[in-house]
Amino acid sequence: MRTDRELTPAELDAFGAELDALRERTLADLGAADARYIRRVRAAVRLCCTAGRVLLMFGWFPPTWLLGTLLLGLGKILENMELGHNVMHGQYDWMNDPELNGQRYEWDIVGPADFWRHTHNHLHHTYTNVIGRDDDIGYGLLRLFPEQRWKPFYRRQVLWATLQALLFQYAVAVQHVKLDKYFKGRISKDEVRPLQRQMNGKIVRQWAKDYLFFPLLALLIGANALAVLTGNLVANLLRNLWTFAVIFCGHFTEKAAVFPAEVLENESRGHWYLRQLRGSSNLEGGPLFHILTGNLSHQIEHHLYPDIPARRYAEMAREVRQIAARYGQEYNTGRMSRQIATVFRRIWVYRKPQAV
Amino acid sequence: MPSFVFSSAGWLQPLRLLVAHGWLREAGVDAWLGALRADWRLNRTFARVHSLRWVAADMLALRLKANRNWPGARPGQAVLVYGERDGVRLARCYSLTAVRGRVLELAIKRQPGGRFADKLIDTLLPGDVLELGAPSGELEWPRDADSGVLLLAAGSGITALYGLLREALAKGCKQPVWLLHSVRRREQRAFVPELQALMARHPNLRVQWLITGEPAGEGELHGRLGAEHLRDLPAHSLLACGPHGFVQKALSLWSAEPRAGTAQWEAFSPPPAQVAGAGQAVRLEFARSGLRAEGDDQRSLLEQAEARGLKPKHGCRQGICTECTCQLLEGRVRDLRSGRETSEPGQPIRICVSAPLSDVRIDL
Ligand code: FES
Repeated sequence: MRTDRELTPAELDAFGAELDALRERTLADLGAADARYIRRVRAAVRLCCTAGRVLLMFGWFPPTWLLGTLLLGLGKILENMELGHNVMHGQYDWMNDPELNGQRYEWDIVGPADFWRHTHNHLHHTYTNVIGRDDDIGYGLLRLFPEQRWKPFYRRQVLWATLQALLFQYAVAVQHVKLDKYFKGRISKDEVRPLQRQMNGKIVRQWAKDYLFFPLLALLIGANALAVLTGNLVANLLRNLWTFAVIFCGHFTEKAAVFPAEVLENESRGHWYLRQLRGSSNLEGGPLFHILTGNLSHQIEHHLYPDIPARRYAEMAREVRQIAARYGQEYNTGRMSRQIATVFRRIWVYRKPQAV
Repeated sequence: MPSFVFSSAGWLQPLRLLVAHGWLREAGVDAWLGALRADWRLNRTFARVHSLRWVAADMLALRLKANRNWPGARPGQAVLVYGERDGVRLARCYSLTAVRGRVLELAIKRQPGGRFADKLIDTLLPGDVLELGAPSGELEWPRDADSGVLLLAAGSGITALYGLLREALAKGCKQPVWLLHSVRRREQRAFVPELQALMARHPNLRVQWLITGEPAGEGELHGRLGAEHLRDLPAHSLLACGPHGFVQKALSLWSAEPRAGTAQWEAFSPPPAQVAGAGQAVRLEFARSGLRAEGDDQRSLLEQAEARGLKPKHGCRQGICTECTCQLLEGRVRDLRSGRETSEPGQPIRICVSAPLSDVRIDL
């Protein structure tokens, strides 16, 4: 359990001011290096995807097929996490580059970018870990905290979690369509239909690219279409599993806290910061690991500063840690293997009603 | 906005359709096109620098060839030229001095503190590629000007008027034309040999220079623009181009006498410096909704838009979620959280935490 000290309103204000100061200092320092970095990430995405797709054209020959699939998966992971997710947060809006504009960027997964900007940027980042307001707590499928009311449905949640991991990009897309609310009769068909149409359109486009165009291209040049199709499937699967793992480690670890809806009433900036700190958890690892997680391994910093370029989180983390220590707040971090084990434990334990 | 220009390379058309319907992403296609040839893009206008030449001590003229996305323009109009500084994309407006199909000429003047122009002037080489924005500007050669045209330019204001003048003379304009270019130092007179050649060829043209900051040379005028410089001029139409103060002076001098013609002008000035949040009234323009309104510099643009009955998209209202982001087209805004100011045209701003500091136009 967490061992946080409760803060007085005055302390909260000072805590918020210190975090604000760090934010301003970092913002003032943004410049050419950050612009160069994100463009390099984009170039790496293009290089990985192109190289992967070319290698897949050599058919089932294991060295090329495996490397091709891995490269394509790597490209997709980078695009999804370090490029797409971060750009869509508006982290690079200050560059004024229309190609890296947070409102216009469309990423390479089946969930339409507009959906994500709403459910993630708005709901999840504003109401982080507030029960009933932040749909990301268990995504409506899982009970991860004793504070969530138990339903018989949760008994099988190990299965639900597995499915979600395998099909993560679809889970992200569906979340916004609010099918659960529709089935419970809380919203009407008319509300759901346009969203569903938008989602179907995006799914068709993604499938057409990965599962139709490139296999057909393979057929056309006399390569093995099935090898290409399978390579694409596996690459998408790899990306699903990886993003699932990283994102679940962000808020559902052992020491992640949840909050009742009352905290939102007249919440001060300091308390908003405090909630982000207590509700998020970090992962430790080397520079490449951080990039592959889209720097969501610095989930705490990402939640304190969602609109600051993620490559800055590592250096900000040092100071955030000191500030947290000074105010007696725990700083939830650990290796991925340990953190994810605690997530799995939650999925296992809270499937039962009496586990509180 | 994608502009589907008719003359565009036909083979790009299918790609444009795929991009327009979300099957391909424009940035990706542009990366491939740009790798094939530096000035190829799907919809954006890029231009290759053909040649460079000094037309005054502090003014460099560029001849450019635009790609096929160029929508066309008239001389006297201006284009945005894009550049980058400290990772930020910036745009500055330059007047076209000549337009022949996709071959354009524009002139860039060094400005005090103008790091954008300085960088272009100091680093551009033939073969470089620049991005251009859509042309804009209303200045036109007066049609009703049988009794003569008066052209008054100050500083870099000469570029727009020189473009218009050259085109009018080439089209056979016979009416008397009098051009006065006001500069601080003699070396700042621009296009001097070109203007002298035009004078030799067209007896109806008279060009004079007004030197404000040092003694004038032979045949030149001295001092600030005043009534004595314009006395007894037969010209009935006016085209004036320069900083705010100059244009205002020109207009008041021109209208002091009864004239039959029209007056057109274009004024440029550095954005007015204002005290942050001094409680002043500002003019707001919401471009997409076509709404203009009076506003203040205290409340966020989101609140003020809502108070005018608009329903801008938004989420958290505290600057976190970016749902309310929209483009600043013109003017200066202040971030209510940090006090940071922005005045870059095209910059995405979060209207829930931005208050206007001057008159602003936003893409809402
Ligand atoms: S409404 Fe969320 S950033 Fe403006």
